Amino acid sequence: MVPIVELAHVSKAYEQKLAVRDLNLRIEPGTMFGLLGPNGAGKTSSIRMMVGITIPDSGAVSLFGRPFTRESLKKVGYLPEERGLYRKMKVMDQLIFMGQLHGLSADAAASRSRAWCERLMILDAAQNKTEELSKGMQQKIQFIVTLLHDPELIIMDEPFAGLDPVNATLLQDTLVDLKKSGKAILFSTHRMDQAEKLCDEICLIHGGQAVLTGRMREVKSRYERNRVLIDFEGEDAFLSHEAIAEYKQYPGHVEIKLKDHADAQALLRAAEQQAKIYRFELVEPSLEEIFIQTVGEKVDA
Amino acid sequence: MHEAFLIARREYVERIRSRAFRISTVLIPFAFAFIFGIGALSGKLSSGPKHIVVASNDAVLAESERAELMAAGKGAQLSVDVRAPIAEPELQTLNAEVDNKRLDGYLWLEVRPGTRQLEATYTSRGSADFLGKDRMQDSIGHALVREELVKRGATSEEVRALLTDVDLKTLQVTNGKAATADAGKGFWSAYLMAFMLYFAVVFYGVNVAQSVVAEKTSRVFEVLLASARPESLMLGKLLGVGAVGLTQMAVWIFFILLLSSSSLWMNLGLGGLAAYGVTPLRLIFFVLYFLLGFFFYSSLSAGLGATVSQESEVQQFNMLIVLPQVIGLMLIVYILSNPGALPVVLLSLFPPCTPIVMTLRMAAMPVPAWQLALSLVLMVLSTYGMALLASRIYRVGILMYGKRPTLPEMLRWLRYS
Repeated sequence: MVPIVELAHVSKAYEQKLAVRDLNLRIEPGTMFGLLGPNGAGKTSSIRMMVGITIPDSGAVSLFGRPFTRESLKKVGYLPEERGLYRKMKVMDQLIFMGQLHGLSADAAASRSRAWCERLMILDAAQNKTEELSKGMQQKIQFIVTLLHDPELIIMDEPFAGLDPVNATLLQDTLVDLKKSGKAILFSTHRMDQAEKLCDEICLIHGGQAVLTGRMREVKSRYERNRVLIDFEGEDAFLSHEAIAEYKQYPGHVEIKLKDHADAQALLRAAEQQAKIYRFELVEPSLEEIFIQTVGEKVDA
Repeated sequence: MHEAFLIARREYVERIRSRAFRISTVLIPFAFAFIFGIGALSGKLSSGPKHIVVASNDAVLAESERAELMAAGKGAQLSVDVRAPIAEPELQTLNAEVDNKRLDGYLWLEVRPGTRQLEATYTSRGSADFLGKDRMQDSIGHALVREELVKRGATSEEVRALLTDVDLKTLQVTNGKAATADAGKGFWSAYLMAFMLYFAVVFYGVNVAQSVVAEKTSRVFEVLLASARPESLMLGKLLGVGAVGLTQMAVWIFFILLLSSSSLWMNLGLGGLAAYGVTPLRLIFFVLYFLLGFFFYSSLSAGLGATVSQESEVQQFNMLIVLPQVIGLMLIVYILSNPGALPVVLLSLFPPCTPIVMTLRMAAMPVPAWQLALSLVLMVLSTYGMALLASRIYRVGILMYGKRPTLPEMLRWLRYS
């Protein structure tokens, strides 16, 4: 399949700082791709090169199977991390203007804006001035601006930052629907729980370099199932079992990290003799733990 | 180009709809009228009723000088008394009268006994006076000649014929035809046009900078860059704001024309535009210089605006926009009286000063066609160069936040791809 986005050995430096170093990635159609990494890792720098705001010092950016041209931007929806709207402009006028900039006719932009406003439940506010809207509503408008021209590739830099849970869920569901309809979606986030829930593939960047890439399942399967969650009642002497590397204890609940290649079943047997076990679950590490572990190692290195 | 057009149209429509546009369209002419009104009023006040004394040790000369002054100060409310013959010590009383404001001033004419040598002194409270030094000197000269002629037996008719002031008519050659020019009215139109240019270019230039900064701080740029090039953003902004400026001027010019053809205007004796020497050529160049000046300075303003992150910082570089133009305004009298002098010609060809200086020169003389053409070529080239430089700074600047870049940093931006 022709990849929607392909970065090959892309590097970019600003002044003295190397923002992105030899980055490679591919995004297929119908994929939700998570670009993860701590602040200043190079996420925004990478994204800006994908949409032609900056040009790589070396390496190549291809969109839709062809070297980057501005023409291909007609099929790209980009939501920047730092985003704003014309404060004095009416919401509907603003949407139509942005739609036209993306190559839509005024009529098409108007009817699509109405449909999207309805879908995201802000049609009532469409005739208000933008500055009269709450921050959450303004973010929905920016979301619509990104999607108005029905792009094949949707790139969102921290799309959920600052949203309340209700709106965040609404936008997440919208993205999932778009993915199902075959769009390629790339978003960056700090929120590992969201990435874990939504992404098919991830790329973890640190210090301008990709330190972990691949399909979510595959990435996680590289790590052992060595986390144990136990809900119990009674003695907790089993917590000194030889299989345990470290643990965090809460009332009636304990989260355990096992030693490498330790026998979880032995721990279960020991625990079951001393306490009443309500739950014993052997889980793989969360993306957050993988993130902290990977980035932590690199920081130490 | 389509992007730039969309951006220009948005800028234009939003600005025209704004309350700021309606208010400034109405208030600015009032502000102008106010400034010029104060100018005219202060002129009127200084030429209020005057009471002066001609004092001399020669009674005939004093009487003759009185007549001359009355004739010279025709139109002004002037009363002239004669105290003659008196001796110098008696001037103390006159000094006292001037001091306690019973007199505005006195003219002391002292003829050395036995000679024709005359010493004249005018004493008043302020240094400004009602006639001007030249005309007062002339009037004394006339009085002396009149006295001498009468002594030699000339009749009063002969004296009048000999001393009649020659009325010097001034003609201006335009397109090979000589036409009367009213220097006073021409001066006012030049003054007004230069101020309008200065004001419009500064006002809209600063407007561009402010709105660039506002879009930068609100992060609209980040969103726009997903679909438009930075060059289109800048071009669209300049075209939009420039079109607003033209619209506003068109409104004003329309009302000036309407007013100037109304009976009220005529009753005030102000005459049509032609009486002010405002030819179609001057109007066309006025619009051309406005456009070029606007694009020159607002490119500069957009580029510099992109380098700052807060609107308050815009003021730091307003000086760069104001200063070259203020030079033209400060030299207004020199330029109008020496429109062909080499320094003035050079200044009028120096692009940052061209609009104002050339507009002033055109009011004062028929500027050679090659100079007009050269000024346009130089302005177009330098405006293009300025736009090119500014757009490179703009492109980088709109995505940079925080600390203001230093000059070497900005120079590095010019080389970014």
